[in-house]
Amino acid sequence: MSQSQARFLKRGNLVKLGLLALTLILPLLPYVSEYLIHVVILILLYMILALGLNIVPGFNGLLDLGYVGFYGIGAYTSGLLTVHFGLSYWAIIPLAFMNGAIWGILLGAPTLRLTGDYFAIVTFGFSELVCLVLTNEIWLTRGPLGLPGIDPVSIDLSWLGGPRWELMGPEVGEVPYYYLVLAMVLVTVFVMNRIQNSRLGRAWFAIRDDELAAVSCGVNLLTYKVIAFAISAAFGAVGGSFFARWVTFLSPDMFKFWESFLILCMIVLGGMGNIWGVMLGAAVLVSLGEILREILPWLGLPAEVRFLAFGLIMVIVMRYRPAGLMPIPSVARQMEAARVKRKRVKTPGFKA
Amino acid sequence: MLLEQLINGLTLGGIYALIAVGYTMVYGVIQLINFAHGEVYMLGAFFALTFINLLGLPFYLAFLLSMVCCAVCGMLLDMVAYRPLRRSPRLAALITAIGMSIFLQNLAMIIWGSRPLPFAQEAVPAYFEAKAFTLAGVSLSWFQLFIFGVTIIMMTGLNLIIKKTSTGRAMRAVAQNKTMAALVGVNVNKVITITFALAGAMAAAAGIMVGVYYNSLYPTMGYIAGVKAFAAAVLGGIGSVPGAMLGGVVLGVAEALGAGYLSSLYRDGISYAVMIIVIVFIPAGFFGKLIRETKKSL
Amino acid sequence: MSRILEINQLSKHFGGLKALQEITFHIEEGEIIGLIGPNGAGKTTLFNCVAGVDKPTSGQILFHQKDKTVSVGGKKPEIVTGLGIARTFQNIRLFDNLTVLDNVKIGRHCRTKSTFFGAVLHTRAQQEEEKAILDSAQNFLAFVGLSGRDDDVASSLAYGDQRRLEIARALATEPRLLMLDEPAAGMNARESRDLMNLILSIQRRGVTVLLIEHDMKVVMGVCQRVVVINHGLWLAEGQPHEVQNNPKVIEAYLGSGAAGAA
Repeated sequence: MSQSQARFLKRGNLVKLGLLALTLILPLLPYVSEYLIHVVILILLYMILALGLNIVPGFNGLLDLGYVGFYGIGAYTSGLLTVHFGLSYWAIIPLAFMNGAIWGILLGAPTLRLTGDYFAIVTFGFSELVCLVLTNEIWLTRGPLGLPGIDPVSIDLSWLGGPRWELMGPEVGEVPYYYLVLAMVLVTVFVMNRIQNSRLGRAWFAIRDDELAAVSCGVNLLTYKVIAFAISAAFGAVGGSFFARWVTFLSPDMFKFWESFLILCMIVLGGMGNIWGVMLGAAVLVSLGEILREILPWLGLPAEVRFLAFGLIMVIVMRYRPAGLMPIPSVARQMEAARVKRKRVKTPGFKA
Repeated sequence: MLLEQLINGLTLGGIYALIAVGYTMVYGVIQLINFAHGEVYMLGAFFALTFINLLGLPFYLAFLLSMVCCAVCGMLLDMVAYRPLRRSPRLAALITAIGMSIFLQNLAMIIWGSRPLPFAQEAVPAYFEAKAFTLAGVSLSWFQLFIFGVTIIMMTGLNLIIKKTSTGRAMRAVAQNKTMAALVGVNVNKVITITFALAGAMAAAAGIMVGVYYNSLYPTMGYIAGVKAFAAAVLGGIGSVPGAMLGGVVLGVAEALGAGYLSSLYRDGISYAVMIIVIVFIPAGFFGKLIRETKKSL
Repeated sequence: MSRILEINQLSKHFGGLKALQEITFHIEEGEIIGLIGPNGAGKTTLFNCVAGVDKPTSGQILFHQKDKTVSVGGKKPEIVTGLGIARTFQNIRLFDNLTVLDNVKIGRHCRTKSTFFGAVLHTRAQQEEEKAILDSAQNFLAFVGLSGRDDDVASSLAYGDQRRLEIARALATEPRLLMLDEPAAGMNARESRDLMNLILSIQRRGVTVLLIEHDMKVVMGVCQRVVVINHGLWLAEGQPHEVQNNPKVIEAYLGSGAAGAA
């Protein structure tokens, strides 16, 4: 075989191919319950969200605490367009993408010139405001009553004289949704990969590493940060649009700060900046949530305790493995430097 | 009506100031947004509740005891969760802070349940309800005076500590430059611990007073109060203690007036909006120094 | 020869500190000109003003292009780089966590233009541009003598190699004027000699060089003219050996009453 073929087959890629094959045939395997399919769909959805968020802290080194704002905007846009105009989901996907990007630009342009902590605070404030608007503007969103009756996704060829399939139903369960979100994940991974190896991605990494040096190479900081934020927001919105058409019911308390934190933990746990690490982080944390939900009643504790366990787990992980499970080399190096520094500063008399 | 809202706003503002000062002091010494600070405020209220309702302690004793407990809580928070991460990238510390916040919120939910709880009626001094005096048609209760009094005493006390004592000097030194402070012999860890203790004690006072004022305690009360107090700290310039005090008052008044005249639904939103507008147009807030971007990592 | 850069009455004040006071000199196209002076004289501040990192308090910086003259003072750094002025940093600012090759590829940023859509849709134009970026980056690396280290992480390079990488990155922006800030700092005799040869070959490519340097062997070895500043004021200017023997310059470096400089 040719040299490039041989390189392609190295171990990492084989593992990825194997996993891909497994996910493709998963619903066809025996003993795979509807519940498992549901959980895997959830994992795949969070993978899209995590990959979207990864652009901002992972590729650009900026802290975004308000990602749930875009997720919520995307979900409610999708839900409202469906409920009021009966738009097909295939039209909604690009609309959600663009809408998310527009909101990303609107929020990012005035705020991305701020230093890191302030930017984080503003994104946090933004997502809280989004949640407040979703709760209070009852004429638009029905507020706390929630938005029910969102049509599931369907492939409608009736205008061509063909059949109409709904992606959810008694015989197929959620399996068609499974393949839909899997396809969306694959597209997302493809896009992230292509960006990473492009002029755009390099500009981002330059910004992350040293802003002054980046600027001296001709990179306009604000422009590129806004692009990053907009694309991240766009993916968040697309994830939200899928969520709306999958669970067919939305309510404002699904879009609280907790979600932003959860997705942030996924990318930090998995290894910030690393596409595969981030996906692993999503899989691990969603699974953890479900496992806790199952185990805790066995131990005689109410299921709500899983949030407590979750908080504790994140504290412990940050203490012992802050770089995450699959860190990119630069993050691993930073952690190593931090650990070494800690050991060195044991001079008596100074407790710095 | 305006005067009444103004008085409400000042009362609220005093409370925000007490909590905001805690955020700003901790940020000043370790550049960390202590997300769990709101939970210390909440625990202050619940400790007092337990002391009063369960142990039957008198109000003022419970008040002081709760402040001490929360000072200890603050110190524990630093020693157990934040100190090990002193040299790690800031994002790890931030996630730890949020994690601790979630942990404490849910712990409180398990211990005290998630339904709102009131203070035992007999335990709270009865004269709190009574009107102290009337000013231009608006009456102030003794409790409102109590809140003003406690707030002013604590703010003044804190100011004295920071400006006049050697501990305060050490705190200011650590906030300016940790390494240099250590090199001149300041015990940086001790200073940070004291900062957390002071922040915790004041948050507890705020929590108890709010708990009595609304006579309703619930485990998530720390979250929203924490965010607003944080907005106040940012408004005043994060890292500046007088800024946090002023920011708290301004935000309290803005919220009361906004809720009264604009929209009570978006009462909480006013804090967020103020915070965003201030940061975008005057990033340093009232008294803060603009944080210069250095080549530091996330 | 024509002038490429003119600095007229350039002043920069930081509050009460007068870092530069009415500095005036010019650079001819194609020459290698040295900027020397004791520590704290304002040399890096001057670089920062030209490069757009600091905004001049007053005065003009004129960059002469082929058909027009641009006033560069107060423009943003990325614009200045686009116009054709590149610089290196006193403390070497590489992209530590990126590879050697990526560092130079980023230098090509201002001369290329693919966007998000080109990257995602993998258009023919984008593919060709990526190939061009790769080729030119490798050429620049070969030019400074760093071939074969493409995938090494920048922070793992030896100090001297890091300097050369920074120069390669600056050259990748295709400057007409290259400003080097103490490139020989920390180098031994052999490394300095290699650096001098590199600077001369940069000149042979048609790039004008403005050089801040303390190492007098390097200054004497490559500079055709030298400008001396001290305490933000222009002190002297001329050919290297003239300046070296100028009593005011000697006094600035060694204190009053000193005679017979190095």
